[in-house]
Amino acid sequence: MKDVSLHQLSTLTVIGLLLAFYGGTYLLTLAIKKQKEDTDAFMVSNRSVGFGMGAASMTATWIWAASFYAAATSGYTYGVSGPLHYGLWGALMILFIYPFGRRFRALAPKAHTLGELIHARHGSSSQLILAISNVFGSTISLMVNFTAAGALVAVLSPVPFQVGVIIAAVGVLSYTLWSGFRASVLTDFAQLIAMMTVAILIIPVLLFAMGGPAALVANLDKITPEQANLFSVDAVLNQGAPFFVAVLAYSIGNQTISQRLFAVREDHIKPTFITATIGYGAVVIGLGMIGLMALLVGVEPMNGDMNNLIPQMVSLYLPAGFIMLFFILVIGSLSSTADADLCALSAIMMADVYGKNIAKDHPNPRKMLLIGRLTMVVATAIGVILASLSLDILMMLVFVGALWGAIVFPVIASCYWDRVTNKAFTSAVVAGLAMFCIVRFNLVPLKGAIAVFFELIAAGGGGVVIGLMAFGFFGRRAGLLASAAVTVLLAIYGHDFLRDYRVLTASLTAYGASTIVCIGVSLMSNTRFDFAEINKRIGNYDNRSETDDPTTENAMPGMADARG
Amino acid sequence: MTTALILASYILIWPIISLIVLAVIIGATVRDTRKARREGREVV
Repeated sequence: MKDVSLHQLSTLTVIGLLLAFYGGTYLLTLAIKKQKEDTDAFMVSNRSVGFGMGAASMTATWIWAASFYAAATSGYTYGVSGPLHYGLWGALMILFIYPFGRRFRALAPKAHTLGELIHARHGSSSQLILAISNVFGSTISLMVNFTAAGALVAVLSPVPFQVGVIIAAVGVLSYTLWSGFRASVLTDFAQLIAMMTVAILIIPVLLFAMGGPAALVANLDKITPEQANLFSVDAVLNQGAPFFVAVLAYSIGNQTISQRLFAVREDHIKPTFITATIGYGAVVIGLGMIGLMALLVGVEPMNGDMNNLIPQMVSLYLPAGFIMLFFILVIGSLSSTADADLCALSAIMMADVYGKNIAKDHPNPRKMLLIGRLTMVVATAIGVILASLSLDILMMLVFVGALWGAIVFPVIASCYWDRVTNKAFTSAVVAGLAMFCIVRFNLVPLKGAIAVFFELIAAGGGGVVIGLMAFGFFGRRAGLLASAAVTVLLAIYGHDFLRDYRVLTASLTAYGASTIVCIGVSLMSNTRFDFAEINKRIGNYDNRSETDDPTTENAMPGMADARG
Repeated sequence: MTTALILASYILIWPIISLIVLAVIIGATVRDTRKARREGREVV
């Protein structure tokens, strides 16, 4: 095994790179004309984002700092199939949102957040579940990305961790604060170009610098048969399937994605999502191949930390300039996700909290913008503090993931099935989360009848995941058939088996339990919802003539008293 | 030889796809920007 130290950049170089990156990004946002700023532009760029910018922004947001590290770790751990089981499923989730996204846009063409749609459909409690889950999710994401910045500068230079965290936080806030989502989209484009260019360069250069494919083939016999197998069951069950289930929840529940969905021009949604799917998959799987290459040439991760794999490989085989490119790659990826999180948090506070629950549909647009910007400042400060505390975020991530898993079916069902009620939505989410906790945290031993019970619910959850995907692309009949088939197959083959894969079973249980409760409670009610009401209840917060008068409270027509 | 070729293709296909996607995104953005300029509006 090769034990490799990392190439070190000087303090001046690192500070210079950071200043050049964030300074350049900030200068780019100066191109946005400030006088046209309004809440609609601040939150969804007036829904006029085109295909190129939209695809770039979606891809850059979906790729965060952990994407490279985790894909490389997967390649190193599971071998040939490892990068696919990280990148492919993550990419497919972008595609998965597309059919549902079109439905969201059709129901609520003027929405800024998915929470607004759910508020119009069900009222405050369901909306706030979604909003709160997003506040937690985006705050954690901010913390993770700032932490990644601190860790990167600390591992590659003498610059302290804390300095890296603060520079990244201030840098991201500086270019996002004024123009909000518009700045995020514009800078995502530039950041994605940088990221993709670096990825396109690093992968082939690294391969040939280490001796080409022949050098890797010579070591193929040193990896385990499971690692050499493209269809490794081990990789599917431990990496692919849990990740697949987790990102499905992330894609539906996360405001950073739905915000882009509401911002892209409606006729550009399809090409935007397809391009982002392919772009994300190619970059992440490609960089994951560095983990596979490290495995084949016998590189040992420094200090046992898998996050060191890519910088180690670059240090070992490439000139120092490539370490700088790698540095930009990571800073670009974490910044694009962090600015998306700031925009998501500000939109949630502006629309979901202030617009819907404090101003009760009579918001003052200027006050909304102020709330949005203050949210960004506060969120950045919280992100820096949490990153500085070096918290163990696993538990928080687990909870947010479970919450989003429990939300998926109720959200989608609420947009298609007129019988779903507010009570069904909230009770389904609570039940899904509770059942998840029982399995995930081993609150009862998974033995005997209890294990069978949870395996059956998890089988139903698996059916829900596949059924929703089939439904999205092929319609109701295909969805029901796929769901039934997968449920039956998992019930048969998952018996006495799923209990051994607790993470996967817990996630599937969240889906299964929330679906069962949502359907059950909905069927107990005879009320029917008219989906046309959603569009009437969601409007723009800006009325230009009234916005110009700061003393005027702005009302949205048809939104005052309607609740489903 | 065949294994090396397959492995090289498996690793190098991803940067090639990335390059194609990058070209598509840049091309589309240039078109969007020109169109926005003609219509007197901003691209975002």
